[in-house]
Amino acid sequence: MGYSVQIKNLDLSFGAVEVLRDLNLDIHDGEFLVLLGASGCGKSTLLNCIAGLLEATDGQVFINGRNVTWEQPSKRGIGMVFQSYALYPQMSVKGNLSFGLKNAGVPRSEIEDRVGRAARILQIEELLHRRPAALSGGQRQRVAIGRALVRDVDVFLFDEPLSNLDAKLRSDLRVEIKRLHQRLKNTMIYVTHDQIEALTLADRIAILRDGKIQQLGTPDEIYNRPLTKYVAEFIGSPTMNFFNGRIEEGVFRSRDLEIELDGYQWSGEASSGEAWLGIRPEHVASANAASNMPYSTEIEVELYEPMGSDTLVWTFIGDQSFHFRLDGQIKVSDGDRLSIGFDIRRGSIFDKKSESRL
Amino acid sequence: MNKRELVELWFVRLVLVAVAAFVFSVVGVLAEIAGVVTWLALFGAAGAAILLFLEAGIPSLKGRLARYSIGWIIASAVSLVIWVFAQKWWQTAFPSFKGARKAWDTFEPLALFGTALFLIVGLAIAAVGTLDKSSVRPGRIEHGFVSNLSAKVAAAPMAFTAIGVFVIATLWTVYHSFTNSRLLPKSEFVGLDQYERLWSVERWYISIKNLAVYGLLALVFSLVIGFVLAALMDQKIRFENTFRTIFLYPYALSFIVTGLVWQWILTPDFGIQHIVRSLGFENFVFNPLFDADIVIFGILLAGLWQGTGLIMVLMLAGLRGIDQEIWKASRVDGIPAWKTYIFVVIPMMRPVFITTLVILASGIIRVYDLVVAQTSGGPGLASEVPAKYVFDYMFGGQNLGQGFAGSTMMLLSVLIVLIPWAYLEFGERKRG
Repeated sequence: MGYSVQIKNLDLSFGAVEVLRDLNLDIHDGEFLVLLGASGCGKSTLLNCIAGLLEATDGQVFINGRNVTWEQPSKRGIGMVFQSYALYPQMSVKGNLSFGLKNAGVPRSEIEDRVGRAARILQIEELLHRRPAALSGGQRQRVAIGRALVRDVDVFLFDEPLSNLDAKLRSDLRVEIKRLHQRLKNTMIYVTHDQIEALTLADRIAILRDGKIQQLGTPDEIYNRPLTKYVAEFIGSPTMNFFNGRIEEGVFRSRDLEIELDGYQWSGEASSGEAWLGIRPEHVASANAASNMPYSTEIEVELYEPMGSDTLVWTFIGDQSFHFRLDGQIKVSDGDRLSIGFDIRRGSIFDKKSESRL
Repeated sequence: MNKRELVELWFVRLVLVAVAAFVFSVVGVLAEIAGVVTWLALFGAAGAAILLFLEAGIPSLKGRLARYSIGWIIASAVSLVIWVFAQKWWQTAFPSFKGARKAWDTFEPLALFGTALFLIVGLAIAAVGTLDKSSVRPGRIEHGFVSNLSAKVAAAPMAFTAIGVFVIATLWTVYHSFTNSRLLPKSEFVGLDQYERLWSVERWYISIKNLAVYGLLALVFSLVIGFVLAALMDQKIRFENTFRTIFLYPYALSFIVTGLVWQWILTPDFGIQHIVRSLGFENFVFNPLFDADIVIFGILLAGLWQGTGLIMVLMLAGLRGIDQEIWKASRVDGIPAWKTYIFVVIPMMRPVFITTLVILASGIIRVYDLVVAQTSGGPGLASEVPAKYVFDYMFGGQNLGQGFAGSTMMLLSVLIVLIPWAYLEFGERKRG
C-alpha cells in the first residue's frame, strides 16, 4: 500500500510564532486519518498546509508521490470541507456543486453526471435547486461534502466539519461520513477537537500539541497505550486518574498507595525513580471483582454522578481525589463504603520529568 | 362600560387632533389659525383626559403605570410654574425675575405646550391603565399605546420634526410651485406656468445634462475605484490603517474647501498646467475649469477625490464581513480571485452596495457647493446643476415659484428611481 499524503520536515511560522515544527507524517492510501488536539495546537494549520491554503515556511508536501509544496490548492487533487460550510450563498445547491467544475472547463454533460452522482450519494437530489439559506445545517454540510465529492479527487480534507451542528445531527452525520469513506475508499484527513469523533472515525489518529505530533497510532493504541501523559489526559472522558510517586525495585509508592508493578508492560527496561501512575476510571473494578485485582482498597463514596449506563463515583484514596465508573445498575449513595481495585496491567506509567511512557 | 368606551374614543380623537395641531404650529404653516386651533385642541384634549380620568377613577391604579402617570403630571406642573414665571404680571410683581427677560420670553410658549402635553400624557396613562383592567378586551390598549410609552414620547419631537421637514415642507413646496410666488410665498395659482418656463430655459437643460453626466460618472467611478481600493486594502497589507486614514481624509473636508483646493490645482496659471509647462512642455494644455466642454469632468475629479475614501471604507467593511472560509473554498475549487469577487463576494455584499448607492445618490443629487466653489457655474452656464438653479432662483432671483418648480422636478426624478426600486426590494421580501 502506497502513501497518499506525505509530509516531510514541515515548518510553519507566522512571524515569530512557530505553529508547526519539523513535522513528519505519512498517510496511507485510503486511510482515514484524524488530526486531534486542543485548540491552538496547529491541527487546522497543518490541514491548510496540506490543502495549500497556507504556505509552508520550510519542508515539503507530497500527494500521491507528487511534490505539491508549491502547487495551487486546486491543482493538488484535494477536496475540502469547512466548518462554516463556506457555501456560495447566492447560488443554488447545483450552482455550488458545479461552479468549480464549470470554471475548470469540464464538459457540461460530465458536470451533470458528477453532480447527479454526488447528489445521489449524499441524498440531496431534491435540494439541488434550493439556495443554501433554505437548507438546514446538516443539509448544508452535505452540500459542502458534495462540493468536494464532485471534484473527483483522491484526498478529502475535513476541517472540523461537524462543529457547527447540534449533538444529534453530529452523530448522524458522523456515521454518514464513515459510510462515505467505506464506500469511496478515498484518503480522508479529518481535523477535530472532539475525541469521540476521532476514536469512532479514524483508522489512525495523530495527536498534536504545540505544532508537534505527540502520538500517531490506531484509536486502540492511543486509548490503551498513550505514549505521553498529555495524550493520556486528553483522551478518555472522564479523564484518567494520576498518582504522583516513586518507583523502587518494581514497586510504585506514593503518599497514598503502594502497588507492585508485576506484569506491567514496560516500554523499555523496567525503571525506577519519580513517576506518574495513571489508571482510567473505566478500568477500576468494584465490589467482588475488586478482591481478585492485584491492587484493592476500600473507599467511601464522596459524590456520585449517575449517567444512565454508568455511575461516575468520586472518592479519595488517601488524600488523592479519585474517580471511577460503576455499573449503572449498582445503587450507591453518598457515604457508602465500597471496595475497589485495579490491575496495573491496564494502567500507564509516565516518567515524572519527560512525561513519556515508561 | 359603553360610556367609558365612548369617552376613550373621543379622548383618542382629541389627542390626535392635538398632535396634528402641534405639528402644524411647530412647522409654522398658517401660523395664525394654527395658534387658535392648537390651543383649542390641546386644552380640549386635556379636558377630555381629565374627564376620562375622573370616570376611570385613580384609586385602582398601581405600580409602574402609576409612577409613570405621576411623573408626567409633575412634569406638567413644573412647566406650569415656568410659564407663570414668564408672565409679565408676575415679573412686575417680582422685579428680580426681570433680568432674563428674553429667556423667559423663549420659555413661555414652550412651557405652555409642555404643561398641556405632559398633563395629557400623564392623565392618559392613568386613564388607560385603569380602564385596561375592566376593559372588554384586556391588553389591547397596553400593546397599542402604553407599551414603551416613554420611548415613544422621547422619540416624538424627532418624529414631529421629521414629519414637518420631510412631509409637510415637501407638500408646501409642491403646492407653491403652482403659484406665482416671488419674494414671498403666496397662494395665487398659475397652473403649470412655472414648469413651462422651467423647461423652456436653457440653463435648466444644461443643469439636467450636467447632473446626468456627473451623476452617472460619479456613481460608476466611485463604486469601481472604491471597491478596487477596498479589495487591495483587504490583501493583508502593511500600514493598512495609515492608508485607510489617508484615503478617508478628504472626506473630512467640506465640499467648499475641496472645491477651492481643486480650483487652484486646475487653474492654468499656477496649477498642473503651469507645473508641466515649466518642466519644458510649453504647449501642454490642462484647464478643465476654463473649457466649457469638459468643465464638468473637472468638478467630477474633485468630487471623486473627496468621496471615494468613504466608499472604500464602506466596501472594506463589507469585505471584512465575508467569511474567510468562502475564500478558501473558492481557492480549493480553483476559481481565480477576480471571478470570486464578481460571482461570489459582490453578490454577498448586496446590502453594502445598496447602502453605498443611497449615500452616493443623495450626494450627487444635491451637489451644489462643489460647483459654487470651483466655477460658480461657469464658464458661462457650462457647469450649472439643478440644486444651484433652485438656490439661485429662490434666494438670488427672488423667484420662489420658479425655484419650487425646479426642486419639485428634482424630487420627481428621485421618486421615479426610488419607487420602483423600493417596490422591488420590499415587495419581494413580503412574497418571499
